[in-house]
Amino acid sequence: MSTPPTQASAADASPFDGGARWPLTLLAGSALVWLVVGSLLALLTGIQLHTPSFLADCSALTHGRAQAWRETAFLYGWAGNAGVGLGLWILGRLGGHPLRALNWAVVGTVFWNLGLLFGLIGIATGSMTGFAGLQLPRAVQPVLVAAFCAMALPGVLAWAGRKREGTYAAQWYAAAALFLLPWFWTATQAVLLWSPLRGVVQTVAASWHAQSVVALWLMPLALAAAYYVIPKQTGKLLPGYDSAPLAFWTLIVVGSWTFGRHLIGGPVPAWIPTMAVVAQCLLLFHFLVIWLNFRGAFAGGSVTLQYMRFGLVAYLLTGLAETITSFRGIAVHTQFTLFGPALEALLLQGALSMFLFGGLVHQLPRVTGRHWALPSFVSGHASLVMLGVVVSVLSLGWAGLAQDALLNHSQTPFAEILVQLKMPLLLHSAGQFALLAGNVLLLVAFLRSALSCCQAEGASVLRPASSAS
Amino acid sequence: MKNRPLFLFGLFLAVLTSWAGFVLGSHGQLGSLTPFFDEADGQSHPARLPGLAARGQAVYADLGCAACHTQQVRRPGFGSDQARGWGERQSVARDYIFHAQPQLGASRLGPDLMNLAGRKPQAPSAEELHRLLYTGSAAHPAFPFLYETREIAGEASRQAVRLTGAAAPKAGSEVVATERAQTLVAYLLNVNSGFEYPEARPLPAQSPASPEAKK
Ligand code: HEC
Repeated sequence: MSTPPTQASAADASPFDGGARWPLTLLAGSALVWLVVGSLLALLTGIQLHTPSFLADCSALTHGRAQAWRETAFLYGWAGNAGVGLGLWILGRLGGHPLRALNWAVVGTVFWNLGLLFGLIGIATGSMTGFAGLQLPRAVQPVLVAAFCAMALPGVLAWAGRKREGTYAAQWYAAAALFLLPWFWTATQAVLLWSPLRGVVQTVAASWHAQSVVALWLMPLALAAAYYVIPKQTGKLLPGYDSAPLAFWTLIVVGSWTFGRHLIGGPVPAWIPTMAVVAQCLLLFHFLVIWLNFRGAFAGGSVTLQYMRFGLVAYLLTGLAETITSFRGIAVHTQFTLFGPALEALLLQGALSMFLFGGLVHQLPRVTGRHWALPSFVSGHASLVMLGVVVSVLSLGWAGLAQDALLNHSQTPFAEILVQLKMPLLLHSAGQFALLAGNVLLLVAFLRSALSCCQAEGASVLRPASSAS
Repeated sequence: MKNRPLFLFGLFLAVLTSWAGFVLGSHGQLGSLTPFFDEADGQSHPARLPGLAARGQAVYADLGCAACHTQQVRRPGFGSDQARGWGERQSVARDYIFHAQPQLGASRLGPDLMNLAGRKPQAPSAEELHRLLYTGSAAHPAFPFLYETREIAGEASRQAVRLTGAAAPKAGSEVVATERAQTLVAYLLNVNSGFEYPEARPLPAQSPASPEAKK
């Protein structure tokens, strides 16, 4: 942690970013606000696991609704905003032209975040849809798709109108994510909200969507950030880059097939969990290539690379663990226990968020042309969130294993199971507290940086000569 | 990735294939399931949920009970589903055809509720369910906002939740279930998957009783 996170020199800001400064800062700022909201709710739902009466009197914060808030704020608020901001920036820079149609992105961002706000109010007052991963009330979902199209437009234009013939992996992942979401989200809405399919086919469609939101939208954006940032930070070419296209197509083609691992033994066609096993095994190739490409991140001490390293390890571990638990023999032990949330935390808080943090910490100084204010807050954030993820994933995993014995192999009453899980669940809350504290630090550091950037800009208008520092 | 339209088209095709394969594929397989007519008792199974219970399912969904409860019993050999008395058979797609929104759930912090009303020897009573939801327990969140505490005007309501100890209301008032709580409990008292469909037997029946019974 010897190198400050702000070694980005202002000179590294490219002229392309000029017009993109405010749109991208707006996206990053909204992302961080939702991140803190999501962390607060993660702490709340964590506490409710060991103390079910906590804030239970409040209908808006009853456990089921708080879970839906947490998930929505995290996926669509934090990861969505941060990922789109990074994706646009990368496509602009690698495309070789300044981003066009940025007004659309700003309007889209405003509507996206207003839509989320109304969506969360809707969840709190009882109009959540009840599909995990897609809890936003049905009235706001079409608004969000339209807003997303506007946000993504500059990125798709930059991809289509790029100057160079050759392209980079970062571009494929970013372009794919921006291009694909509106299609499949619209399809899902059609079959779940507007003309609902019958019975468990709904569950199939909803699980497919929940998987695709991560595998085809958010994770590609995070991987784009890592593909772009790691070589910039290490100053070296990525090893094993020749295999990158195949790894990309593996994720795109079979990434969405894996949702069936949650439905093993359930009342759905038996081929769905089987396809999940096949897809998980094929995806091992994707994970292998990501490891080969990103391992350079282990050399170098910047905070950005620390995030990337952590994200890489978490991503690979999730890939392995999800493959193993998709086999029936293992799933009978892990299914319906807290082992599932443990893996989800490893993927979302460990891999996805860390890649996005790395991307944001790298991006912001280059977009604003100013160093991070409060660099110690940024490195404090890195330590706290890494600690928080390790503690909460391990404690949930511990709880999951304990639950297997108590739930599946005995008839221990549920009240008794809860007593036995108290220790790991308390630890999990401690981990979530560390995450919340870390994320507040990052938000403060961001606000200070954005503010000093504003002030400096105001000053430079008055005294153009002295603004060069 | 040189060819620009081809790249986007490839992406689109990959996702379309997956979506159509899984979503439309399962729709083709399960979308036309019909109730099973049982000659022996002269009834169709599953039965439609009565109106009150059907509204209760929406309450169950919007409170997110599925965060802690599943509604899917797995077949023997999977965990202790049968040993715990959650159902004598595995749940099958036909069980859900009249569920406006199936709540399969993915977490079992609490027991499975697929066959709550068919529990042996005895299903919980409405009274017990209201008490659980109103007061909660050391392991269960309370949902007091589904109930109303009001002054007893004249005669005490027969609907009032009977409470003792710390949870009991002040003398002269009573706790009554709101409409939402009533529909929720009506729903819980109707989730029942007692009937044995041919496809739910561990081994395929000799003569498939209906074309969809293959599984
Ligand atoms: C925080 C997790 C949690 C949530 C949320 C939750 N439950 Fe429970 N539920 C439990 C646990 C744990 C038990 C076992 C409690 C016990 O035995 O004391 C249980 C038991 C029950 C039972 C008794 C089951 C039996 O086998 O006797 C019913 C009925 C029930 N819950 C209904 C609901 C409903 C309806 C909701 C939504 C309004 C809900 N629960 C929300 C955790 C939860």
